[in-house]
Amino acid sequence: MRKSREVQLTLLAAIALSMTACRDEHRDCVDAQNHLQSDINCRAETSGSHFVYGGSSGGNVGDTVVGGSSVSRGGFGGTGGGDGGAGGE
Amino acid sequence: MRRLTVTPRSDWQKRVERVGLTYHTLADGTPYWDEGAYWELTAGEIDRLEAATAEVQRLALAAGDVILNQDRLAQMGIPAAAGPAIRAAWNSEPPALYGRLDLAYDGTTIKLLEYNADTPTGLVEAAVAQWYWLQECYPDADQFNSLHEKLIAKWKDLKDYTSSPVYFADGGSEEDRMTVTYLRDTAEQGGLKTRHVAMHDIGWDAKHSRFVDLDNHAMETLFKLYPWEWMLSEPFGPDALSTLPPSAALQEWGPRKDRRLWGSMLWIEPIWKMMWSNKALLAILWELNPGHELLLPAYLDGPRELTSYVRKPLFGREGSGIAVVQDGVTLEGVLAGENAQGYVYQALASMATAGGKTAVFGSWLVDGEPAGMGIRESTGPVTNNTSCFVPHLFR
Repeated sequence: MRKSREVQLTLLAAIALSMTACRDEHRDCVDAQNHLQSDINCRAETSGSHFVYGGSSGGNVGDTVVGGSSVSRGGFGGTGGGDGGAGGE
Repeated sequence: MRRLTVTPRSDWQKRVERVGLTYHTLADGTPYWDEGAYWELTAGEIDRLEAATAEVQRLALAAGDVILNQDRLAQMGIPAAAGPAIRAAWNSEPPALYGRLDLAYDGTTIKLLEYNADTPTGLVEAAVAQWYWLQECYPDADQFNSLHEKLIAKWKDLKDYTSSPVYFADGGSEEDRMTVTYLRDTAEQGGLKTRHVAMHDIGWDAKHSRFVDLDNHAMETLFKLYPWEWMLSEPFGPDALSTLPPSAALQEWGPRKDRRLWGSMLWIEPIWKMMWSNKALLAILWELNPGHELLLPAYLDGPRELTSYVRKPLFGREGSGIAVVQDGVTLEGVLAGENAQGYVYQALASMATAGGKTAVFGSWLVDGEPAGMGIRESTGPVTNNTSCFVPHLFR
Protein backbone atom coordinates (compact mmCIF):
# COMPACT_ATOMS: atom_id res chain seq x y z
CA MET A 1 0.00 0.00 0.00
CA ARG A 2 1.55 3.33 -1.05
CA LYS A 3 -1.27 5.61 -0.06
CA SER A 4 -1.57 7.34 3.28
CA ARG A 5 -3.60 5.31 5.75
CA GLU A 6 -5.46 8.41 6.87
CA VAL A 7 -5.57 12.03 5.79
CA GLN A 8 -7.09 13.86 8.71
CA LEU A 9 -7.43 17.59 8.35
CA THR A 10 -7.96 20.18 11.03
CA LEU A 11 -6.68 23.61 10.13
CA LEU A 12 -7.04 23.20 6.39
CA ALA A 13 -10.66 22.14 6.58
CA ALA A 14 -11.51 24.98 8.93
CA ILE A 15 -9.88 27.62 6.79
CA ALA A 16 -11.32 26.18 3.60
CA LEU A 17 -14.72 26.77 5.16
CA SER A 18 -14.09 30.26 6.35
CA MET A 19 -11.35 31.62 4.10
CA THR A 20 -11.14 34.39 6.66
CA ALA A 21 -7.92 33.50 8.36
CA CYS A 22 -5.98 36.36 6.87
CA ARG A 23 -5.18 39.16 9.20
CA ASP A 24 -5.12 42.53 7.49
CA GLU A 25 -4.22 45.66 9.43
CA HIS A 26 -4.43 49.21 8.26
CA ARG A 27 -1.22 50.25 6.62
CA ASP A 28 0.12 53.35 4.92
CA CYS A 29 2.85 53.71 2.36
CA VAL A 30 5.20 56.49 3.44
CA ASP A 31 8.50 58.01 2.31
CA ALA A 32 11.58 58.43 4.49
CA GLN A 33 10.02 61.50 6.14
CA ASN A 34 6.81 59.59 6.99
CA HIS A 35 4.77 61.42 4.35
CA LEU A 36 1.91 59.44 2.88
CA GLN A 37 2.57 58.01 -0.58
CA SER A 38 0.66 55.94 -3.08
CA ASP A 39 0.89 52.20 -2.34
CA ILE A 40 2.47 51.79 -5.76
CA ASN A 41 5.64 53.45 -4.42
CA CYS A 42 6.00 50.71 -1.80
CA ARG A 43 5.94 48.00 -4.44
CA ALA A 44 8.77 49.60 -6.40
CA GLU A 45 12.08 48.12 -5.42
CA THR A 46 14.12 51.32 -5.37
CA SER A 47 11.67 53.96 -4.24
CA GLY A 48 12.80 54.16 -0.62
CA SER A 49 9.17 54.09 0.47
CA HIS A 50 7.87 51.57 2.98
CA PHE A 51 4.69 50.61 4.78
CA VAL A 52 3.95 51.58 8.36
CA TYR A 53 1.21 49.85 10.31
CA GLY A 54 -1.40 51.24 12.62
CA GLY A 55 -0.64 54.92 12.02
CA SER A 56 -3.05 57.70 11.12
CA SER A 57 -3.05 60.64 8.74
CA GLY A 58 -5.40 62.92 6.83
CA GLY A 59 -5.45 60.38 4.05
CA ASN A 60 -3.99 62.65 1.39
CA VAL A 61 -0.70 62.05 -0.39
CA GLY A 62 1.93 64.15 1.39
CA ASP A 63 0.19 64.08 4.78
CA THR A 64 2.38 63.08 7.70
CA VAL A 65 1.52 59.67 9.13
CA VAL A 66 1.78 59.61 12.93
CA GLY A 67 1.72 56.80 15.46
CA GLY A 68 2.83 53.99 13.20
CA SER A 69 5.40 51.36 14.00
CA SER A 70 8.98 52.14 13.05
CA VAL A 71 9.43 48.60 11.85
CA SER A 72 9.67 48.62 8.09
CA ARG A 73 7.24 46.41 6.19
CA GLY A 74 6.43 45.62 2.61
CA GLY A 75 9.99 44.72 1.67
CA PHE A 76 8.84 41.27 0.54
CA GLY A 77 5.90 40.30 -1.60
CA GLY A 78 6.24 42.76 -4.46
CA THR A 79 7.22 40.29 -7.18
CA GLY A 80 4.83 38.18 -9.18
CA GLY A 81 2.21 40.88 -9.50
CA GLY A 82 2.41 42.21 -5.97
CA ASP A 83 -0.31 41.43 -3.46
CA GLY A 84 -2.09 38.26 -4.41
CA GLY A 85 0.81 37.02 -6.49
CA ALA A 86 1.73 33.38 -6.67
CA GLY A 87 5.18 32.27 -5.60
CA GLY A 88 4.46 28.59 -5.95
CA GLU A 89 4.82 26.56 -9.12
CA MET B 1 -0.83 2.88 -18.11
CA ARG B 2 -3.98 4.33 -19.50
CA ARG B 3 -6.23 7.35 -19.19
CA LEU B 4 -9.88 6.61 -18.51
CA THR B 5 -12.73 9.07 -18.84
CA VAL B 6 -15.46 8.88 -16.22
CA THR B 7 -18.38 10.88 -14.92
CA PRO B 8 -17.32 13.28 -12.14
CA ARG B 9 -19.05 13.09 -8.78
CA SER B 10 -22.16 15.23 -9.03
CA ASP B 11 -21.07 17.49 -6.17
CA TRP B 12 -17.33 17.30 -6.79
CA GLN B 13 -16.83 21.03 -6.22
CA LYS B 14 -18.20 20.86 -2.69
CA ARG B 15 -16.30 17.68 -1.96
CA VAL B 16 -12.90 19.06 -2.94
CA GLU B 17 -13.60 22.42 -1.30
CA ARG B 18 -14.23 20.64 2.01
CA VAL B 19 -10.70 19.24 1.94
CA GLY B 20 -9.00 22.50 1.04
CA LEU B 21 -9.07 22.57 -2.76
CA THR B 22 -11.00 25.82 -3.00
CA TYR B 23 -9.25 26.81 -6.26
CA HIS B 24 -10.75 23.94 -8.25
CA THR B 25 -12.00 26.02 -11.18
CA LEU B 26 -10.03 28.28 -13.53
CA ALA B 27 -10.96 31.89 -14.26
CA ASP B 28 -12.64 30.87 -17.52
CA GLY B 29 -14.91 28.45 -15.68
CA THR B 30 -13.21 25.24 -16.77
CA PRO B 31 -12.21 22.78 -14.06
CA TYR B 32 -8.65 22.93 -12.77
CA TRP B 33 -9.36 19.80 -10.74
CA ASP B 34 -10.53 17.47 -13.50
CA GLU B 35 -12.00 14.22 -12.24
CA GLY B 36 -13.69 13.62 -15.58
CA ALA B 37 -10.69 11.42 -16.22
CA TYR B 38 -8.03 9.56 -14.26
CA TRP B 39 -4.78 7.79 -14.99
CA GLU B 40 -4.47 4.12 -14.11
CA LEU B 41 -0.98 2.72 -13.74
CA THR B 42 0.42 -0.63 -12.76
CA ALA B 43 2.40 -1.27 -9.59
CA GLY B 44 5.43 -1.87 -11.78
CA GLU B 45 5.08 1.51 -13.41
CA ILE B 46 4.83 3.17 -10.01
CA ASP B 47 7.95 1.27 -8.93
CA ARG B 48 9.81 2.72 -11.91
CA LEU B 49 8.65 6.26 -11.21
CA GLU B 50 9.59 5.95 -7.56
CA ALA B 51 13.03 4.55 -8.38
CA ALA B 52 13.59 7.27 -10.99
CA THR B 53 12.73 9.93 -8.43
CA ALA B 54 15.24 8.55 -5.96
CA GLU B 55 17.91 8.35 -8.65
CA VAL B 56 17.38 11.94 -9.83
CA GLN B 57 17.60 13.06 -6.23
CA ARG B 58 20.96 11.29 -5.96
CA LEU B 59 22.17 13.00 -9.14
CA ALA B 60 21.01 16.39 -7.87
CA LEU B 61 22.89 15.96 -4.61
CA ALA B 62 26.08 15.20 -6.52
CA ALA B 63 25.47 18.17 -8.82
CA GLY B 64 25.15 20.50 -5.83
CA ASP B 65 28.68 19.64 -4.74
CA VAL B 66 30.01 20.26 -8.25
CA ILE B 67 28.21 23.60 -8.60
CA LEU B 68 29.86 24.87 -5.45
CA ASN B 69 33.26 23.26 -5.92
CA GLN B 70 33.49 24.67 -9.45
CA ASP B 71 31.96 28.05 -8.57
CA ARG B 72 29.12 27.68 -11.08
CA LEU B 73 26.59 29.94 -9.30
CA ALA B 74 27.32 32.92 -11.57
CA GLN B 75 26.76 30.72 -14.62
CA MET B 76 23.32 29.95 -13.18
CA GLY B 77 22.51 33.65 -12.86
CA ILE B 78 22.49 33.49 -9.06
CA PRO B 79 23.52 36.80 -7.45
CA ALA B 80 27.07 36.80 -6.12
CA ALA B 81 25.87 38.17 -2.79
CA ALA B 82 24.00 34.92 -2.18
CA GLY B 83 27.03 32.70 -2.77
CA PRO B 84 28.46 32.56 0.77
CA ALA B 85 25.04 31.85 2.29
CA ILE B 86 24.29 29.12 -0.26
CA ARG B 87 27.65 27.50 0.38
CA ALA B 88 27.22 27.64 4.15
CA ALA B 89 23.69 26.26 3.99
CA TRP B 90 24.66 23.43 1.64
CA ASN B 91 27.49 22.34 3.88
CA SER B 92 25.61 22.63 7.15
CA GLU B 93 22.36 21.04 5.95
CA PRO B 94 19.64 23.04 7.70
CA PRO B 95 16.16 21.54 7.43
CA ALA B 96 14.70 21.11 3.96
CA LEU B 97 11.14 19.88 3.61
CA TYR B 98 9.98 18.96 0.17
CA GLY B 99 10.24 19.23 -3.62
CA ARG B 100 8.66 18.02 -6.82
CA LEU B 101 10.29 16.55 -9.90
CA ASP B 102 8.38 17.06 -13.12
CA LEU B 103 8.87 13.93 -15.20
CA ALA B 104 8.01 12.99 -18.76
CA TYR B 105 6.82 9.39 -18.89
CA ASP B 106 5.41 7.79 -22.01
CA GLY B 107 5.10 4.30 -20.56
CA THR B 108 8.59 3.41 -21.71
CA THR B 109 11.08 6.14 -20.88
CA ILE B 110 11.18 8.47 -17.90
CA LYS B 111 12.95 11.82 -18.30
CA LEU B 112 13.48 14.70 -15.91
CA LEU B 113 11.85 17.90 -17.17
CA GLU B 114 12.69 20.07 -14.17
CA TYR B 115 13.01 20.15 -10.41
CA ASN B 116 10.66 22.44 -8.49
CA ALA B 117 12.72 22.40 -5.33
CA ASP B 118 12.01 25.73 -3.68
CA THR B 119 8.29 26.52 -3.92
CA PRO B 120 6.37 23.56 -5.33
CA THR B 121 2.59 23.69 -5.31
CA GLY B 122 -0.08 21.24 -6.41
CA LEU B 123 0.32 19.74 -2.95
CA VAL B 124 -3.26 19.99 -1.71
CA GLU B 125 -4.37 18.29 -4.92
CA ALA B 126 -1.79 15.51 -4.74
CA ALA B 127 -1.75 14.83 -1.01
CA VAL B 128 -5.38 15.43 -0.07
CA ALA B 129 -7.94 15.88 -2.85
CA GLN B 130 -6.91 12.86 -4.88
CA TRP B 131 -6.63 10.74 -1.73
CA TYR B 132 -10.24 11.53 -0.80
CA TRP B 133 -11.28 11.01 -4.43
CA LEU B 134 -9.72 7.55 -4.33
CA GLN B 135 -11.37 6.66 -1.01
CA GLU B 136 -14.77 7.64 -2.32
CA CYS B 137 -14.56 6.36 -5.90
CA TYR B 138 -12.07 3.48 -5.95
CA PRO B 139 -11.44 2.42 -2.35
CA ASP B 140 -9.93 -0.92 -3.36
CA ALA B 141 -7.27 0.67 -5.56
CA ASP B 142 -3.93 2.07 -4.42
CA GLN B 143 -2.29 5.40 -5.06
CA PHE B 144 1.31 6.62 -5.04
CA ASN B 145 0.65 9.08 -2.26
CA SER B 146 2.05 8.96 1.24
CA LEU B 147 2.64 12.70 1.30
CA HIS B 148 0.45 13.39 4.30
CA GLU B 149 2.11 10.85 6.54
CA LYS B 150 5.60 11.79 5.42
CA LEU B 151 5.04 15.51 5.94
CA ILE B 152 3.78 14.95 9.48
CA ALA B 153 6.72 12.66 10.20
CA LYS B 154 9.17 15.25 8.89
CA TRP B 155 7.71 18.02 11.03
CA LYS B 156 7.98 15.76 14.07
CA ASP B 157 11.67 15.33 13.26
CA LEU B 158 12.10 19.09 12.98
CA LYS B 159 10.54 19.90 16.32
CA ASP B 160 13.90 20.15 18.08
CA TYR B 161 15.41 22.18 15.25
CA THR B 162 12.84 24.94 14.99
CA SER B 163 11.74 27.83 17.15
CA SER B 164 8.13 28.20 18.19
CA PRO B 165 5.96 29.26 16.54
CA VAL B 166 6.93 28.25 13.03
CA TYR B 167 5.72 30.96 10.67
CA PHE B 168 4.27 30.17 7.26
CA ALA B 169 4.27 32.88 4.59
CA ASP B 170 2.98 33.17 1.03
CA GLY B 171 2.56 35.80 -1.65
CA GLY B 172 -1.20 35.94 -1.34
CA SER B 173 -2.71 33.89 -4.17
CA GLU B 174 -5.48 31.54 -3.10
CA GLU B 175 -3.56 28.47 -4.20
CA ASP B 176 -0.48 29.48 -2.27
CA ARG B 177 -2.53 30.43 0.79
CA MET B 178 -4.19 27.02 0.88
CA THR B 179 -0.88 25.27 0.26
CA VAL B 180 0.76 26.88 3.27
CA THR B 181 -2.39 26.28 5.30
CA TYR B 182 -2.14 22.58 4.47
CA LEU B 183 1.53 22.55 5.43
CA ARG B 184 0.64 24.31 8.69
CA ASP B 185 -1.95 21.60 9.26
CA THR B 186 0.66 18.86 8.86
CA ALA B 187 3.11 20.77 11.07
CA GLU B 188 0.54 21.12 13.84
CA GLN B 189 -0.30 17.43 13.57
CA GLY B 190 3.44 16.91 13.98
CA GLY B 191 3.33 18.79 17.26
CA LEU B 192 4.52 22.25 16.19
CA LYS B 193 2.85 25.57 16.86
CA THR B 194 2.33 27.63 13.74
CA ARG B 195 1.28 31.10 12.60
CA HIS B 196 0.54 32.56 9.21
CA VAL B 197 2.00 35.81 7.93
CA ALA B 198 1.70 37.30 4.46
CA MET B 199 5.03 38.00 2.78
CA HIS B 200 4.17 41.69 2.44
CA ASP B 201 3.36 41.90 6.16
CA ILE B 202 6.76 40.65 7.28
CA GLY B 203 8.58 43.45 9.06
CA TRP B 204 12.26 44.22 9.32
CA ASP B 205 13.36 45.50 12.70
CA ALA B 206 16.55 47.31 11.80
CA LYS B 207 17.33 48.08 15.42
CA HIS B 208 17.61 44.39 16.31
CA SER B 209 18.47 43.11 12.82
CA ARG B 210 15.64 40.61 12.71
CA PHE B 211 12.38 39.91 10.95
CA VAL B 212 9.17 40.41 12.94
CA ASP B 213 5.51 39.52 12.61
CA LEU B 214 2.58 41.95 12.73
CA ASP B 215 2.86 42.12 16.50
CA ASN B 216 6.57 42.92 16.18
CA HIS B 217 7.50 39.56 17.68
CA ALA B 218 10.75 38.17 16.37
CA MET B 219 10.36 35.43 13.78
CA GLU B 220 13.03 32.75 14.07
CA THR B 221 11.68 29.97 11.84
CA LEU B 222 9.88 30.71 8.60
CA PHE B 223 8.53 28.43 5.91
CA LYS B 224 8.11 30.70 2.89
CA LEU B 225 6.23 29.72 -0.25
CA TYR B 226 8.02 32.48 -2.08
CA PRO B 227 11.04 32.00 -4.32
CA TRP B 228 14.46 32.89 -3.06
CA GLU B 229 15.28 34.69 -6.31
CA TRP B 230 12.28 36.96 -5.78
CA MET B 231 13.20 37.61 -2.15
CA LEU B 232 16.76 38.54 -3.00
CA SER B 233 15.64 41.01 -5.66
CA GLU B 234 13.26 42.78 -3.26
CA PRO B 235 14.06 45.52 -0.72
CA PHE B 236 14.45 43.06 2.16
CA GLY B 237 16.77 40.80 0.15
CA PRO B 238 19.99 42.06 1.77
CA ASP B 239 18.31 41.81 5.18
CA ALA B 240 17.38 38.19 4.49
CA LEU B 241 20.99 37.41 3.67
CA SER B 242 22.07 39.12 6.89
CA THR B 243 19.97 36.67 8.90
CA LEU B 244 21.79 33.68 7.47
CA PRO B 245 24.91 32.22 9.02
CA PRO B 246 28.28 33.52 7.87
CA SER B 247 30.12 31.32 5.43
CA ALA B 248 32.72 30.64 8.09
CA ALA B 249 30.16 28.88 10.27
CA LEU B 250 30.46 25.53 8.54
CA GLN B 251 29.30 23.33 11.33
CA GLU B 252 26.74 20.63 10.93
CA TRP B 253 23.27 21.86 11.77
CA GLY B 254 21.77 20.12 14.74
CA PRO B 255 19.23 20.37 17.50
CA ARG B 256 19.84 22.70 20.37
CA LYS B 257 22.97 24.17 18.78
CA ASP B 258 23.67 27.77 19.69
CA ARG B 259 21.38 29.56 17.29
CA ARG B 260 23.65 32.59 17.18
CA LEU B 261 25.89 30.56 14.91
CA TRP B 262 23.02 30.25 12.50
CA GLY B 263 21.82 33.78 12.24
CA SER B 264 18.51 35.11 13.41
CA MET B 265 16.24 33.15 11.05
CA LEU B 266 15.88 29.53 9.99
CA TRP B 267 14.44 29.61 6.46
CA ILE B 268 12.54 26.66 5.02
CA GLU B 269 13.26 25.91 2.22
CA PRO B 270 16.95 26.73 2.74
CA ILE B 271 18.69 29.12 0.39
CA TRP B 272 20.73 26.37 -1.28
CA LYS B 273 17.49 25.28 -3.00
CA MET B 274 18.27 28.12 -5.43
CA MET B 275 20.69 25.70 -7.08
CA TRP B 276 18.07 23.03 -7.72
CA SER B 277 15.11 25.20 -8.64
CA ASN B 278 17.24 26.93 -11.28
CA LYS B 279 16.82 25.46 -14.78
CA ALA B 280 20.59 25.56 -15.30
CA LEU B 281 20.63 22.46 -13.10
CA LEU B 282 19.30 20.51 -16.09
CA ALA B 283 22.35 21.35 -18.21
CA ILE B 284 24.74 20.68 -15.34
CA LEU B 285 23.14 17.29 -14.67
CA TRP B 286 23.54 16.37 -18.33
CA GLU B 287 27.14 17.58 -18.37
CA LEU B 288 27.94 15.44 -15.34
CA ASN B 289 25.92 12.41 -16.49
CA PRO B 290 25.90 12.43 -20.31
CA GLY B 291 23.57 9.84 -21.74
CA HIS B 292 21.91 9.07 -18.41
CA GLU B 293 18.61 7.29 -19.08
CA LEU B 294 16.62 9.69 -16.87
CA LEU B 295 18.04 12.90 -18.32
CA LEU B 296 17.47 14.85 -21.51
CA PRO B 297 20.34 16.52 -23.36
CA ALA B 298 20.43 20.09 -22.10
CA TYR B 299 22.81 23.01 -22.68
CA LEU B 300 23.28 26.55 -21.49
CA ASP B 301 25.04 28.00 -24.54
CA GLY B 302 22.47 27.15 -27.20
CA PRO B 303 20.69 24.13 -28.65
CA ARG B 304 23.92 22.71 -30.16
CA GLU B 305 22.97 19.53 -32.06
CA LEU B 306 19.32 19.64 -31.01
CA THR B 307 16.73 20.37 -33.70
CA SER B 308 13.79 19.62 -31.40
CA TYR B 309 14.09 21.31 -28.04
CA VAL B 310 12.51 23.49 -25.37
CA ARG B 311 14.12 26.80 -24.42
CA LYS B 312 13.42 27.63 -20.78
CA PRO B 313 14.39 30.79 -18.87
CA LEU B 314 16.69 29.87 -16.00
CA PHE B 315 14.27 31.48 -13.55
CA GLY B 316 11.08 30.67 -15.47
CA ARG B 317 7.93 29.75 -13.58
CA GLU B 318 4.68 28.06 -14.51
CA GLY B 319 5.69 27.69 -18.15
CA SER B 320 6.30 31.41 -18.71
CA GLY B 321 8.85 32.36 -21.36
CA ILE B 322 9.14 28.84 -22.73
CA ALA B 323 9.62 28.29 -26.46
CA VAL B 324 9.14 24.87 -28.07
CA VAL B 325 10.98 24.02 -31.29
CA GLN B 326 10.35 20.82 -33.24
CA ASP B 327 12.43 19.95 -36.28
CA GLY B 328 13.55 23.55 -36.43
CA VAL B 329 10.03 24.99 -36.38
CA THR B 330 8.83 27.02 -33.38
CA LEU B 331 5.61 25.39 -32.20
CA GLU B 332 4.95 27.49 -29.13
CA GLY B 333 6.35 30.70 -27.67
CA VAL B 334 8.81 33.09 -29.24
CA LEU B 335 12.51 32.40 -29.73
CA ALA B 336 13.45 36.01 -30.45
CA GLY B 337 14.72 38.13 -27.60
CA GLU B 338 16.90 37.48 -24.62
CA ASN B 339 16.51 37.80 -20.90
CA ALA B 340 19.16 38.90 -18.46
CA GLN B 341 19.48 35.56 -16.71
CA GLY B 342 19.77 33.32 -19.76
CA TYR B 343 18.19 30.06 -20.85
CA VAL B 344 18.59 26.34 -20.85
CA TYR B 345 18.01 24.41 -24.07
CA GLN B 346 16.59 20.97 -23.33
CA ALA B 347 15.76 18.23 -25.82
CA LEU B 348 12.07 17.56 -26.38
CA ALA B 349 10.83 14.58 -24.40
CA SER B 350 8.39 11.89 -25.40
CA MET B 351 5.32 12.48 -23.27
CA ALA B 352 2.20 10.54 -22.36
CA THR B 353 -0.69 11.76 -24.51
CA ALA B 354 -4.32 10.71 -24.45
CA GLY B 355 -7.65 12.36 -25.01
CA GLY B 356 -5.94 15.28 -26.69
CA LYS B 357 -3.98 16.01 -23.52
CA THR B 358 -0.30 15.83 -22.68
CA ALA B 359 0.53 14.65 -19.17
CA VAL B 360 3.39 15.60 -16.86
CA PHE B 361 4.07 13.41 -13.85
CA GLY B 362 4.89 15.46 -10.77
CA SER B 363 6.83 13.19 -8.43
CA TRP B 364 7.03 14.46 -4.88
CA LEU B 365 9.84 14.13 -2.38
CA VAL B 366 9.62 14.73 1.34
CA ASP B 367 12.92 14.85 3.22
CA GLY B 368 14.62 13.69 0.04
CA GLU B 369 12.54 10.52 -0.29
CA PRO B 370 9.89 9.74 -2.93
CA ALA B 371 6.49 10.47 -1.42
CA GLY B 372 3.77 10.59 -4.05
CA MET B 373 2.63 11.79 -7.42
CA GLY B 374 0.30 14.28 -9.06
CA ILE B 375 -0.47 14.47 -12.78
CA ARG B 376 -1.03 17.72 -14.68
CA GLU B 377 -2.50 17.76 -18.17
CA SER B 378 -2.19 20.41 -20.89
CA THR B 379 -3.69 20.78 -24.32
CA GLY B 380 -0.28 21.91 -25.63
CA PRO B 381 3.29 20.81 -24.95
CA VAL B 382 3.87 23.27 -22.07
CA THR B 383 2.55 22.83 -18.54
CA ASN B 384 1.42 26.18 -17.17
CA ASN B 385 -0.86 27.62 -14.50
CA THR B 386 -3.97 26.59 -16.42
CA SER B 387 -2.97 22.94 -16.80
CA CYS B 388 -5.48 20.65 -15.12
CA PHE B 389 -4.80 18.29 -12.25
CA VAL B 390 -6.06 14.77 -12.98
CA PRO B 391 -6.08 12.11 -10.24
CA HIS B 392 -4.41 8.73 -10.53
CA LEU B 393 -4.57 5.26 -9.08
CA PHE B 394 -2.70 1.99 -9.56
CA ARG B 395 -3.60 -1.64 -9.28
